[in-house]
Amino acid sequence: MSTLLTSRIMTDVFGGITSGAVIALVALCLVIVWKSTNVLNFAQGAMGMFATFVGMNLVFHDTNYWLCLVLSVATGLVVGGLTERVLIRPLYGKPEINPIVVMVGFLGLLEALVPAIWASSFNTVPSPFSQVYFQSHGNTVLLSPFVLYQIALALGVMLVVALLFQYTTLGLKMRAAALAPEVSRLLGVRVNRLLTLGWMLSSGIGALAGVIVSTGHTLDATNLDGIFVSAFIAAAVGGLESPLGAVIGGLLIGLAQQFILNYWSANLAPLAGVIVLLISLAIKPQGIFTRTVTRRV
Amino acid sequence: MKWLTTLRDARPTTSRALGITLLTLLALLITFRLSALDDAKLASGAAIAIVVVGLSWLIGWSGQVSLGNSGFMAVGAYVTAIWANHHATTPIFVTLLLATGCGALSGLVLALPSTRLRGPYLAGMTLAFSFAVVPLALNFPSVTGASSGLTLNFLNAPSWFAGLFTGPQATVNANAQWSADVAIVVAAVAFFFMANLFHSRTGRAMRLIRDNDVAAELTGVNLPRTRTLAFVISAAYAGLGGSLLTLLNGSVTPQTYSIALSILLLTLMVLGGIGTLSGAVLGGLIYSYSDNLVSLVNKVTGVNPASTFGANLKGIVFGALLILTMLLAPRGLVGLGSQLVRLFAQLRNRT
Amino acid sequence: MIRVERLSVVYGAVRALTDVSFGAPAGRITAVLGANGAGKTTLLRTISGLVKPTSGAIFCDETSLLGLATENIARLGIGHVPEGRGVIAEFTVEENLRLGILASRANVSEGLARQFALFPVLGERRKQYASTLSGGERQMLAMARALIAKPSVLLLDEPSLGLAPQVTAEMMRTISELCASENLTVVLVEQNAKSALRIAHDAVVLHLGTVIASGSASEVADNSDLRRYYLGLVTP
Ligand SMILES: Nc1ncnc2c1ncn2[C@@H]1O[C@H](COP(=O)(O)OP(=O)(O)OP(=O)(O)O)[C@@H](O)[C@H]1O
Ligand SMILES: [Mg+2]
Repeated sequence: MSTLLTSRIMTDVFGGITSGAVIALVALCLVIVWKSTNVLNFAQGAMGMFATFVGMNLVFHDTNYWLCLVLSVATGLVVGGLTERVLIRPLYGKPEINPIVVMVGFLGLLEALVPAIWASSFNTVPSPFSQVYFQSHGNTVLLSPFVLYQIALALGVMLVVALLFQYTTLGLKMRAAALAPEVSRLLGVRVNRLLTLGWMLSSGIGALAGVIVSTGHTLDATNLDGIFVSAFIAAAVGGLESPLGAVIGGLLIGLAQQFILNYWSANLAPLAGVIVLLISLAIKPQGIFTRTVTRRV
Repeated sequence: MKWLTTLRDARPTTSRALGITLLTLLALLITFRLSALDDAKLASGAAIAIVVVGLSWLIGWSGQVSLGNSGFMAVGAYVTAIWANHHATTPIFVTLLLATGCGALSGLVLALPSTRLRGPYLAGMTLAFSFAVVPLALNFPSVTGASSGLTLNFLNAPSWFAGLFTGPQATVNANAQWSADVAIVVAAVAFFFMANLFHSRTGRAMRLIRDNDVAAELTGVNLPRTRTLAFVISAAYAGLGGSLLTLLNGSVTPQTYSIALSILLLTLMVLGGIGTLSGAVLGGLIYSYSDNLVSLVNKVTGVNPASTFGANLKGIVFGALLILTMLLAPRGLVGLGSQLVRLFAQLRNRT
Repeated sequence: MIRVERLSVVYGAVRALTDVSFGAPAGRITAVLGANGAGKTTLLRTISGLVKPTSGAIFCDETSLLGLATENIARLGIGHVPEGRGVIAEFTVEENLRLGILASRANVSEGLARQFALFPVLGERRKQYASTLSGGERQMLAMARALIAKPSVLLLDEPSLGLAPQVTAEMMRTISELCASENLTVVLVEQNAKSALRIAHDAVVLHLGTVIASGSASEVADNSDLRRYYLGLVTP
C-alpha cells in the first residue's frame, strides 16, 4: 500500500486530480451558463480572477484568508449577475456571434483592468494549510494538507451544485428555465431571474476556482487562462450540455497534463486539452458536439 | 464624362480593379509625404488589414467565428523567417506566396475536424489552437528560437528606389517608404481578390449559409465544403498577413502571436465593420494609429501613461470599445457612416 | 372570466389578429374555432403575454393583463396548456407536475395527490420520464400540470391534436367536469369543431384574424353556412 502511494504512477494521479479538479470546476461553470443562456462565456476565467483579486488582494493587508475567500466569492456572484443584466440580456435573440464577441471583449477588458488596478506584485497568497507533502516510509506522497484542501474544495462545490440542481426546487426551476423557458414562464417561473442566478452561480464558482489556483501561488490576472481553455475543451468533449461530462472531461485533461509533464515535455503540458480534443475527434470524427443547437432565448 | 459611362458599363471585375488601383496609387502618393515612422505604422497596418479582411470574410460572410487567426499568422510568420534565413535571395513575393500557402494548409488541417462545429464550439476550438502557438514554439527551440524567436533581414529598398531620396536620413527614409509601398501593394492585391470573392458564387453561397444553413443545403450548397473553403481562405489571408508583418519587422517572436492578438483582430474587425472591405481598411488604420488613439485617451482622461493604469490603458480601451460597438453599433464605423449618410439625405429631403 | 376587447396583433407584415373581441365567463367553456392560420394560437399567446398586441385590451375579471409579464399573468391564476403541450421531455412526470405548482402557494403533496386521483395513469408513471409517455398521457400531464396550481382560467390550445377519437372524447368530458366543479373559465381552442362544440357553452369563430361569428355553441353549430365554409363540418 505504502509503495503504491509513493509510486510514480500514484504521484501523477494525485497531481493530475489536483489540476483536473479545478479544470472540472471551471468546465462546470461553462456548462451552467451555456445551458441556461446558450452563451459560451469566454470571460469565465477573467471574471473569476477579477473576483479573486478583489478578495485575495486583502490577504496582503493582513486580512483573514477565509474572509478574503468569502469576499471573492461574493464579488464573483455580483459580477456574474451584473454581466448577465448589462452585457448579455440585450443580446438575447441576436445572432450567436454577438454574445461571443462581447464576451471576448470583456475578457480583453478584464485582463487589462486587473493589472491596471492591482499592479502585479508577484506576492504569493499564503496557504491556510501546510504545504509539506506527506511521507510514507521515507518516501514522498504527492499529497499535502494543502493539496487535499484544494481537491476537497473543488469536489465539494461540484457535489453541492449537483445536489442543488437535482434535489432542490430552485434547481428544478433553473433546469426548467434552461430547457423550456417559454413553458416555464407559462407556469409562473420567473425565468429572467433564474438566468441571472445561473450567471451569478457560475461566476461565484469561477471566483472560487480562482482562489483555489491562486492559493500558495502568485496572484496573477492570467492564472485561469490556460485552465479556461482546458475547461472549454472538457465541457465541449462532454457535450457542453452535460455537467457530469464536463467534470469527467476536466479530470481527464488534468491527468493528461500531469502525464505529459512528467513523461514528455513541460512546455507541451498546456496542450493536454488540445490533445484530448484531437483524440476525441479521432474516436468520434463526426464531432462530439454536432448535436444541432438552437438559441433558446 | 464619356470615361465615366465606360467605367460604369465595364465588367464588375474591371471596375473593381480600376477602383482599387486608383486608391492604391493615392495611398502610394501619400507615403511620399509621410515620415519614416508613419510609413512604418502604415506598413504594419496594411499587413494587419489583410488578416482583418480574411477574418471579416469568415465571420461576416460565412458566419463562423475564429479566434485562431493569430495562430495562422504565426504559421505564416515562422515559415517566412525560416525560409528567408535559408534562401536569402528569394524574391519576396515568392516568400509571401509560400507563407500564404502554408497558412491555407494549416487552415485546412484545422478545418477538417472543426468546420462541422457551430458558433461557440468553433470559436472555442480555434481559441485552443491559438493557445497552442506559444507552447509549441517554446518546445522546438532549434526550429523556432524559443522565446527569443528568429530574426531576418529587413526589407531594403532597391537602388533605383533609394536613388529618389536625398538628405542625411536618405537610406532610412527610403527603406521605410519602400516597406510601406510593398505592404500597400500586397494589401491591394489581397483586397482585390477579396472584393471579387465577395461577389462570386462562393460569396453568395456563404451569405446563404450564414443566414440559414438548412435552406442553403436544400438549394444544393455543400455545407461542409463551403464552410471549409471559407475557413481555408481566411487562414491563407492570416498567413499572408503574418508573413508580411515578419518581413516588415525583421523578426518573429512567439509572444506576438498569443491569444491577445486574436482578440485584437476581432476588435479591429468589429470596430471597422463586419463583412466589409472598407471596415477592414479602417481596422488596419486603427491598428496603425492605436498608440496615438491611446495617448489621446490618456490626455483626455488625465491618466499618467507611466502608471500601471496607463500601461494597461490600451487593453482597457479596446476591450471597452469592442463591447460598446457590439452592443450599440454592431455594424461598426462603416455602419455608423452609412447611417449618417442616410440621416443627411433625409434632412436634405425634408428642407 | 376573460374579456378581450378590439385586440390586434401584427407579426412584421402579417396581421394575425384584427379587432378581436369576445368574453369568456366563469363556469363556462368558450370554444375558439377556425381553420389553420386563423389566429387562434396567437390569441391565447397574447392573453398570456407571450405576444405583445398592437392595440386592444385584455381583462381577467377586472385586472388588465396588458403589459404584464407572462410569469405574472400565470401567477394570477391563468393556466395555459400550449399548442404541442409543452411537456418537458427531460423531466419525470412528477418533476413536470412539481414545476406547475412551484409558483403557487399550494401544498405540493396534496396537489400531486389530487392530480393522481384525477389522472390515475400519471400516478402509475410518476417516476417515468415524460419523453416515454404516449401522446394521450402527455396531454393529461400537460393538463394536470396546469390544474395543479388551481387556476381560475384555463387556456387550452388544441388539446385533441393527435389523439384518437375515444381519447379525445374522454379528454373533453374531463374538461367539462372540471369546468363545472371548479367554476373554471375555459377557453378551448380547437380545429376539431365537432368535438369542441359538443361540450362548449359558447363559441367564437375566427377567420383570417377576425371574429366572423360568436354566440352560444348551439347557435354556431346550427348555422349551416358557418358549418360548411368555416368549420369544415358537413351538414347531415
Ligand atoms: N411568430 C410569428 N411570426 C410571424 N408570423 C406568425 C408568427 N406566429 C404566427 N404567425 C402567423 O400568424 C397567423 C396566425 O397564426 P396562428 O398560429 O395564431 O394560427 P392558428 O389559428 O393557431 O393555426 P393552427 O390551427 O394551424 O394552429 C398565421 O398566418 C401565421 O403564419
Ligand atoms: Mg394554433
